[in-house]
Amino acid sequence: MDPTQLIPATDPISVPWMWFEGLDLVTFVAHLLFMNVMFGGSIIALLSLRAQKRGGVSPVPEELSARLPTLLALTVNLGVAPLLFIQVLYGHFLYTSTILMAVFWLSVILLVILAYYLLYIYDFKYRALEGRRGLILGLSVALLFCVSFIFSNAMTMMIVPATWTAYFGNAQGTLLNLSDPTLIPRYLHFVLAALAVGGLFIAFLGYGKIRNGNDGEALLTSGLRWFTHATLAQFVIGTWFLLSLKRDVLLAFMGNNVMETAVFLGSLAVSLVALYAGFTRRVVLAVGATVATVFLMAVMRAMLRMEYLAPYFHPSNLELHPQYGPLWLFGIVLGVGLVLVVYMLKLYLRANKGA
Amino acid sequence: MEYPIWQLTTLAGGFWIAFIAVVHVYVAHFAVGGGLFLVLTEHKAVREDSPAILAYLQKHTLFFLLLSMVFGGLTGVGIWFSIALISPQATSMLIHTFVFGWATEWVCFLGEIIALLVYFYAFARMARRDHMIVGWLYFIFAWLSLFFITGIIDFMLAPGKWLETGNFWDGFFNPVFWPSVTLRTFLAFTFAGLFGFVTAIRIPDATARLSMVRSCSLWTALPFVFVLAAGWWYVHSFPPYAYEMVMFKIQKLGFFVPSFLVLGAVIMLGGLFMAFKMPAAVTKPTAYVLLVIGLCYMGCFEFSREAARKPYIINGYMYSNSILPSQTAAINARGVLRTAKWVTNKAVTKENEVDAGREIFQLECASCHSIGGPLNDILPKTLKFSVFGMDSELNGQGKLVRYMPPFVGTVNERWALARYIVDDLHSGNTHLEDGPAQTPQNLPAVVPKKENDDYVLLAWNNLGMHCISDSDPFWILLPPANDLIAQLIKRGDGPEIITSGVEITYAVESGFENPAGQVTFWDHAQSLFELEKPLPVNVGVSGNKVMGIMKPTPGGEAFEASLVPVVPYPDDGSFNPYPLFTVTAKDSATGKVLATTRCVAPTSTEMGCKNCHGGTWRVAGVAGFTGETSADVLAVHDRINKTTLLADARAGKPWLCQSCHRDPVLGAKGKEGVISFPAAIHGWHANYLTGRDENVCYRCHPAKNTGSTGCLRGVHTGVGLTCIKCHGTLEDHALSLLKYEKNRGIVSAEKLMQGLDSRVVASKEAINPRDAWVNEPDCLNCHVAFEKPVARDVSGFNTWTAGVAELFRVRTDDMGVRCEACHGSTHANYPATNIYGKNRDNIPPLQYQGNSLPIGSNRHCGVCHTQPMSDEGHHPNMTGMFRNARLISKEEMK
Repeated sequence: MDPTQLIPATDPISVPWMWFEGLDLVTFVAHLLFMNVMFGGSIIALLSLRAQKRGGVSPVPEELSARLPTLLALTVNLGVAPLLFIQVLYGHFLYTSTILMAVFWLSVILLVILAYYLLYIYDFKYRALEGRRGLILGLSVALLFCVSFIFSNAMTMMIVPATWTAYFGNAQGTLLNLSDPTLIPRYLHFVLAALAVGGLFIAFLGYGKIRNGNDGEALLTSGLRWFTHATLAQFVIGTWFLLSLKRDVLLAFMGNNVMETAVFLGSLAVSLVALYAGFTRRVVLAVGATVATVFLMAVMRAMLRMEYLAPYFHPSNLELHPQYGPLWLFGIVLGVGLVLVVYMLKLYLRANKGA
Repeated sequence: MEYPIWQLTTLAGGFWIAFIAVVHVYVAHFAVGGGLFLVLTEHKAVREDSPAILAYLQKHTLFFLLLSMVFGGLTGVGIWFSIALISPQATSMLIHTFVFGWATEWVCFLGEIIALLVYFYAFARMARRDHMIVGWLYFIFAWLSLFFITGIIDFMLAPGKWLETGNFWDGFFNPVFWPSVTLRTFLAFTFAGLFGFVTAIRIPDATARLSMVRSCSLWTALPFVFVLAAGWWYVHSFPPYAYEMVMFKIQKLGFFVPSFLVLGAVIMLGGLFMAFKMPAAVTKPTAYVLLVIGLCYMGCFEFSREAARKPYIINGYMYSNSILPSQTAAINARGVLRTAKWVTNKAVTKENEVDAGREIFQLECASCHSIGGPLNDILPKTLKFSVFGMDSELNGQGKLVRYMPPFVGTVNERWALARYIVDDLHSGNTHLEDGPAQTPQNLPAVVPKKENDDYVLLAWNNLGMHCISDSDPFWILLPPANDLIAQLIKRGDGPEIITSGVEITYAVESGFENPAGQVTFWDHAQSLFELEKPLPVNVGVSGNKVMGIMKPTPGGEAFEASLVPVVPYPDDGSFNPYPLFTVTAKDSATGKVLATTRCVAPTSTEMGCKNCHGGTWRVAGVAGFTGETSADVLAVHDRINKTTLLADARAGKPWLCQSCHRDPVLGAKGKEGVISFPAAIHGWHANYLTGRDENVCYRCHPAKNTGSTGCLRGVHTGVGLTCIKCHGTLEDHALSLLKYEKNRGIVSAEKLMQGLDSRVVASKEAINPRDAWVNEPDCLNCHVAFEKPVARDVSGFNTWTAGVAELFRVRTDDMGVRCEACHGSTHANYPATNIYGKNRDNIPPLQYQGNSLPIGSNRHCGVCHTQPMSDEGHHPNMTGMFRNARLISKEEMK
């Protein structure tokens, strides 16, 4: 069956597609950063708990315990926006891939709720849990591993319509995209990124403590170690991921497409800067370079999606029925909302200082 | 049509959406009202200088955060996930139309989270004033979330001007928007109180506990009045059809709407009850019970709201199964399988019929119907259908009862879907099988010998195709009754119709003398006909029995026994719809027998209500009503028309349909403003049986000669004409009757006409109205001047007799002889062919002229005339020869 025949029709958009691509990119980067910190931080906390059991001393598990639920709350919230904007441009691909794996996709809700409550238990009952901390946090991390794997499946399946014909053998919503060569390297790429950024966050916490005259050295050292080691490993996994791509897509990033190649090289360069900063304990630089890397990687991810879908679709194909009023509404509410968020955070910081 | 379908069975029908939505919406409203509760309770604590209340509030905030932010937040995303899985096309449309509405709501969600996290984590540390500002900000963000979501949700119920403009603001500020925001805001306050109870009852300090519980009482009870007012406003802002659905139409809403009001009152009273000082053993369970009632309350609201927009998911724009009304004509032409992208069967063939039906079920039905699951289970709803019945139900779906979308697709696809449901899901609905069926016997038609050469006695029945419904304990549409009529002619040079000095008797053949032993009519006749005293057993409604003396007709030219209570069940338990009557003429003075003849009085219970209403044949596997069929007819009537007929019947009060529905055949006047019975029964069912041929008539009438009655047995059938030639197709026939009703101001007639199109005439407008049993197709429409029709394709339809006097069954020729005396009764005109013995209907002509032709045809003037005749005395073309010689033997032509 010709997969082209399966691609659903699109609905018209109200402002030019670049708006949605841009909004998707910005909000996705924010989501990625929080997700990486939360997910990577959880894994590191769990592994540090294991190290503690073997006699090691790490402040990481307790230091993160109070932060993980909040980070998850923000990860979820910041995930909503890019999921919204991507649906505007690529909904007909995304809905299709998620329907094919509906059981897993819908289970994400339950898995995240459970992971969320487990993180709260880990936080509020940290002391009471004692030996069972690893179990609670481990369960939560396991659930998050499942969630991220489901997301990787959905996002890879949506860009390869050729895989969709599997539906005719299984319409029960229990398909996965396991035969896709990019799935595993892509998944590992994201997990490693989470470890790196999670590590960097821990280092940044240590850095903050040191600046405030407290003892943050252990956090800083441990965090940077995770950051640098994960980033180094990323060069291997990232290469695997790159080589697993469809040949013409790979070549687009290897010189066939100037823009895409430039972004790729740029992201490599800033990641090297981040790595250098990590090894030389320049935390702020590492953070800056990492945010830049994440941003460029997100751009690459969007380009990769376009490359894969090029035979079938480009967002510029979407019919435009212009209406800008609602965009203004969003812009104004976003502006006012962010001002109020900053205001509330200021009140919070002032309260903390007061205390 | 565009997306793959997540093929669920038990948990299809929107289960996941409903399940996630109801719990989410409950918590989400709590997240709004509870926000105001937080900050106002903080004010209260400060005002009353109560550390105990403040301590309580801090704990309540944690509870609030864990419930609203974690569970509420994630289930909100869950609704989004689930609608995109189950209705991706509608989701895509909503996302694209309102993307910046959703995005704005997301900003509010972000503000809510930040505010709540700050409020909770800084509870003990922050300056009280700052803390309360954050609390207020939380409430504002949360309420704005409600505001923005409401615009999009209620757009689905009432898109308003958006349908024409496609403008975001027209859709967002739809007609239901403001009342909905108001209603939801007050609901949110109620829920703040309900959830408040759960934590307030745990306050250790007794004074603070009582104070907080009473505060929650106020939160719970006070908004109820406003909920009622806003609810009234809300419902009255609905689009007209949705309003009708909620207030009057949907049976399901008959449960949810009143339950919503009752549960609201229960919550208010429960909330007030909690204000009493009571031991924890009472308050704790009460608080939890109230919390659960609150969930049901919200559930009733959500189900009512969703049901109100049926059959649409986006009112007026997209059906529940994501098909656009604007696409239906194209899909009907092209086929749903060819239109849908994600199917394997692209066309229906004999081999793939059931599997194609399964795919169509997924495309058109599964978004609302589960298979054996908790939501809208298709199985009990279709248990009564044969494949034909299911197909017909689909045929009429969405036309008269509009809470389901119409079936879209070709006739073959509709049949495939019906087959899947009946033959696959129900394994053929074997409980509907009739068992071994009696086959029509070749019964002897004994022709009486002529008593003498002086008299000719011609007898016939007046209802050549006649049904009765032996559904007596539930309802009937006609009592056991057929009319027998006779004319006695004294032979001579100038034959004379004898109208006095004679006594004409009639008697049914052996085995049929005791109809009361076969049907329960006489147990219910008093109720059915609203008689002052019970009808004597075996006596018909006009006082005649199955044997007796005929009376002169009003015109005096003939004798008749009207409404003879004959039934098609002889004592031996078989089915015989053609009981023979012996008619005898005697000299009144001497008692001498002048002439004897025989004729049938057809009476059949082969009425196919069971084809769609469930049940089986009651008698001999071929005819009769079971209670199951009869009851379902009433249940459907009750559901559609809000009557109580089934309950009445069960309480011993069955009704005659014509008690309300006017019907000329019974002289029933019916009730003022109610549609006539023939128009109602044909008009309603025609909507479910469009595009068919004459075979569809046979589904209800006992006409088909391969059935158990074969009432259509006259000469016209013999030459290959069908019902349609005279009556039009079912649609034409129904429209002619409906038009008459419409003209006399019957509103429902117009509704029944909407889904029907004329077929044998050019347009609906061209159809001439007619009153049933009065304005009938005239024989002379085709037989102009009594001649052979000019062409084979002439139609008898659409020119009607002006009144009863012109009807074939009462008309006479120029000499006063009834048309039926010589030609036989309607639908059995000589030469008739009866499946219960070829000549069962032809006894009089066989008796008097030795053939089965109309009396006097082929110049058999000598039947009555003792002198040869050359003039065409009775009607023009009287001396012409019988044209369809192939219908009879050569002997008969002589």
